[in-house]
Amino acid sequence: MTGLDDPILPTSIAWGLLAAFSVLWVVLGWWLGRRNKTAEDHMLAGRNVGLALATATAMATWVTANTTMTAPQLALQLGVWGMLGYSLGALGLILFAPLARRIRELMPEGFTSGDFIRLRYGKFTWRVFLVVSLIYAFGWLVSMAMAGGVLINALAGIDYRVGMTVILTVCVLYTLLGGLRAVIGTDFIQTVIIIAGAAFIAWLTIDKVGFEAIHFNLMEERPELLSLLFPAAIMFLFNNLLFGVGEIFHSNVWWSRAFAFGRNVGFRAYLFGGLLWLPIPIVAGFIALATPALGINVPAADMVGPLVAAEVLGLTGAIVVFIVVFAALASSLDSLLAATSDLVTRDIYRGHIRPQASEQHQFHATKVIVVLLGLLTWLAASYRGEIPIVGSLAELLYFTGAFVASAIWPIVAGLYWKKANPQGAAWSMILGSGIGLTSYFLIGFYVAALVGAAVSLAVMVLTTWLMPRPFDWGRLARSDAEVPA
Amino acid sequence: MTISITALSVIVVLATSVATLTPILLIALFIRDWKKGCLW
Repeated sequence: MTGLDDPILPTSIAWGLLAAFSVLWVVLGWWLGRRNKTAEDHMLAGRNVGLALATATAMATWVTANTTMTAPQLALQLGVWGMLGYSLGALGLILFAPLARRIRELMPEGFTSGDFIRLRYGKFTWRVFLVVSLIYAFGWLVSMAMAGGVLINALAGIDYRVGMTVILTVCVLYTLLGGLRAVIGTDFIQTVIIIAGAAFIAWLTIDKVGFEAIHFNLMEERPELLSLLFPAAIMFLFNNLLFGVGEIFHSNVWWSRAFAFGRNVGFRAYLFGGLLWLPIPIVAGFIALATPALGINVPAADMVGPLVAAEVLGLTGAIVVFIVVFAALASSLDSLLAATSDLVTRDIYRGHIRPQASEQHQFHATKVIVVLLGLLTWLAASYRGEIPIVGSLAELLYFTGAFVASAIWPIVAGLYWKKANPQGAAWSMILGSGIGLTSYFLIGFYVAALVGAAVSLAVMVLTTWLMPRPFDWGRLARSDAEVPA
Repeated sequence: MTISITALSVIVVLATSVATLTPILLIALFIRDWKKGCLW
């Protein structure tokens, strides 16, 4: 039996792994970024990323610590629907595939999602969007840094703040040195590590425990986990679906990749990435169903994955889990740091503070902003539990649900609906976020995204129907064009 | 209504097989892009 009182990995081995992978990522980041000369190189990796790297980076960024740790937790709490529901997060990537193609066609010189909103809807909507987008981005950054500290502590007994500081510092360093090229290059290796590690643990669990023992023990001890009519699980499925679509559609993490991928690559990369991501939560989640058969006592549901891996594989399992988790954390943190620093550089610094900033100036500014973002994230994650809103990972993520879901329709309408009303887009985000947050506090966390998306849709459709505003798509091609206030 | 052993094993084995093949597919795509000079 394994318990959380004893870390599953000896601290000395964990430090060795942390040091080895930290050096690998930083050296690789420096090597990949050594030819970056302009802001465009640094932010968009030369705008010609091929299919292999593009598919891998889409997958790696969407495989977060949540995928590797929460998928088993959901399987343990919500059963078969928990892991299947989580895998539907792939729909966000798949549905973004046609949007990525449209974005690249309409904005061949675009840099950020903020560029699109500014040119398409004007300055007021742009500012509303920046608030929504930056709240989400910062929330995700802090939650990832917190996840790093919590997981490294739980797996190896390393102090929360020390583990969090190490992983954040490593990601800041290689993003700083190599920009998006470093992020995408390391993402490729991280994807291979994460998927191979998860599949390895799943095959060994199947081999050592077997489906018959898993099914028999679940029927005896937790039959609801095998139920196909588990209401809470089915509700989770829809909430997760909307949340995932909102996260991907609005976030600059995905837009910057759409601008960075070569022509005709974006559609295929997001489609393949989504289809190949689909089985990962099932593979990572399934092992939790083996806990009754293995007789494992699970003191904390979010640690069920590592506990099963350690039980089935011993020290090797613990090492594999540690490497997979470290890779999953780094692959998301680096992407967020790069995309958020781009958004701040282009849309806040250049857009609001220094409009005449040259390419070279932006190149330096984006590096300073990566460091500042890292410091801010470190501060917020250091005071986990002491700042009211920065309570737990789940609370923080679900809190941002209303914001991201309210941005889905302004983005979709902006890309495809010629008459979409710009003021309507702003108010759909304001009212969607506001009413979504109200429902978060009045009803529960699980309705925030749902209500936010519904209100936003209603406002967008109603305002455009009452006051249509025709738009010339050609204006999107000039990313520096002046726009009305 | 519970899921049968067969259905559970089919879903999990299928998912794990796809996950096992994914790194191989990605590496093959990487080599193809590299040979064609369109990695970046």
